[in-house]
Amino acid sequence: MSEDFYIGWEARSGAGTARRLRVAVAALLVLTTGLALVLAAQQHTIGTSIFEWGTLKPFTGRLKLEPYPHLLVTRPGTTGDQAACSTYYLVAPLKHGLERERFAALDGQRVSLQGTLIYRGGETMIEAVPDSIHAAGSPGSTPSGPATVSLGRQTLTGEIVDSKCYFGVMNPGQLLPHRACAINCISGGIPPVLLVRQQAGPAIYLLLVSATGKPVNQQVLDLVAEPVQITGDVEWQDGLLILRSDPATYQRVGK
Amino acid sequence: MSVQYQAVQWNRQKRWYDSVLAGGVAFYLLAFGAVTEHLFPNITEEILLMRAFGTAAFLLLHIILCIGPLSRLSPAFLPWLYNRRHAGVTLFLLALIHAVMVVTTYHAGGDTNPLVSIWISSPLTNSVAGVPFQAFGFFALVILFLMAATSHDFWLANLSAPVWKSLHMLVYAAYALLVLHVTFGVLQAETSWRYAGVMAAGLATVLGLHWAAARKERAADRELAAVAADGWVAAGTVADIPENRARIVCVAGERVAIFKYGGKVSAVSNVCQHQNGPLGEGKIVAGCITCPWHGYQYLPETGASPPPFVEKVPTFQVRVNEGRVWVNPRPNPAGTRAEPAVIEP
Repeated sequence: MSEDFYIGWEARSGAGTARRLRVAVAALLVLTTGLALVLAAQQHTIGTSIFEWGTLKPFTGRLKLEPYPHLLVTRPGTTGDQAACSTYYLVAPLKHGLERERFAALDGQRVSLQGTLIYRGGETMIEAVPDSIHAAGSPGSTPSGPATVSLGRQTLTGEIVDSKCYFGVMNPGQLLPHRACAINCISGGIPPVLLVRQQAGPAIYLLLVSATGKPVNQQVLDLVAEPVQITGDVEWQDGLLILRSDPATYQRVGK
Repeated sequence: MSVQYQAVQWNRQKRWYDSVLAGGVAFYLLAFGAVTEHLFPNITEEILLMRAFGTAAFLLLHIILCIGPLSRLSPAFLPWLYNRRHAGVTLFLLALIHAVMVVTTYHAGGDTNPLVSIWISSPLTNSVAGVPFQAFGFFALVILFLMAATSHDFWLANLSAPVWKSLHMLVYAAYALLVLHVTFGVLQAETSWRYAGVMAAGLATVLGLHWAAARKERAADRELAAVAADGWVAAGTVADIPENRARIVCVAGERVAIFKYGGKVSAVSNVCQHQNGPLGEGKIVAGCITCPWHGYQYLPETGASPPPFVEKVPTFQVRVNEGRVWVNPRPNPAGTRAEPAVIEP
């Protein structure tokens, strides 16, 4: 063994080398710990959203396929014409929206289904098991939902996100690192939503549809996950905030 | 050194090295995961894993890149260099897990093949969002794979040292790609100044250490000016060279290591045949010039490794005259005996 010269294939290093190594390893461990703490603690894109993965629940309500599939469920304790509804977006597993053609015959009907709950803030979504969706009794037994309320023409700046990931399936499910996933999801039929972050107050979410109320999934892909400005007609329908605008008029903001 | 290939020639020091490496990586992953879970309990597990392994890989890459110049600046860091390839393979595995998590999370489950999705699901646009940061990460991973796959000495011997060295210098291309990958990826979302600060400090450390090491090398590369009538070059005095150590001089564009040992002086090429390590920063151990990087050994008179080893380096003729060392700038073929110069009492 050479005391002042390190040779790695020798069985042992010199005592001085071993002492220096112990000090260096300890220093590196301190640095590593500090970096782990800083890098972990400084994350700020992780929100309060839930995906009850692995938990299937039964739901019954009125299925509506336009502008995107959703389920109107009567809130407990309310009945008849005064009944209040909760609105759940309906999507299929993985990166797929619910197939409209397959369930066209059930549009407007009362259905039962099994699904996994996804929620963030006041927004709720069900990842439905498509084979579990069946007609469920009289259409009259579930209210058709509140009337559409126009909120006027507005210009809003926000980020187009795929509602499924952002509402809870992925957390964080926004901004550039998530862009490819969001594009895959929206391309697969997941409803695109404009996320408007407010300086004060909670974020608001607007379901994006064309000026004529049709889905715009394929037209918005290039603008997902970056700041955009959209001018259109805002309306409240079935408990959903909807932004009607021609995607050709969407404008990228800055950068 | 070995005359036959084994997956890993374990010894006590190597076990310690790998234990510290594995323990350090595990500690980082656990610390990052525990703090994240505590502060942000709603994070989804796949993204936690993606971030933990991604940051661990990037941090380890910085450490690996710093080992080289630190070893050039101080021999105290040579023990970190000896098994650096183990750290490189670990880095690749960490990066691979990060990549697998990204592909399965962001690209699987849609209408597009996940491997195709990497290339087409994030369209190029005239904005920051359109910078293909995932492609940068993909190409960096390919480089890290090539380096990990060829890290064994089997490939070093079969590809030849220059080809192997060139391949492994691609780590700098991988680093550049990963800086872009991080800058145009996660830093566009996680906008805390502390992230940008850590990133900038890492980049500055890597660049600063390489600059300092290069500056030291440049000083050693100054051509010797004193040339005798027969073309031999004056290479300082015998007194300049510590016993069993060497002085490195630059002769005709090549670094030559002049060793003093047992009342004699011999000169060989400064470049170890193994990984181009600086033999002149080594030491005579058991009668052999011993490379400071991986302990490869050569006889100072012949430049050949003692049997049964077969490595050889070029030798140079030397003479000592009135305490001054003179070197013939024309190298002898590798392994050729050059009579040592005897130091006059």
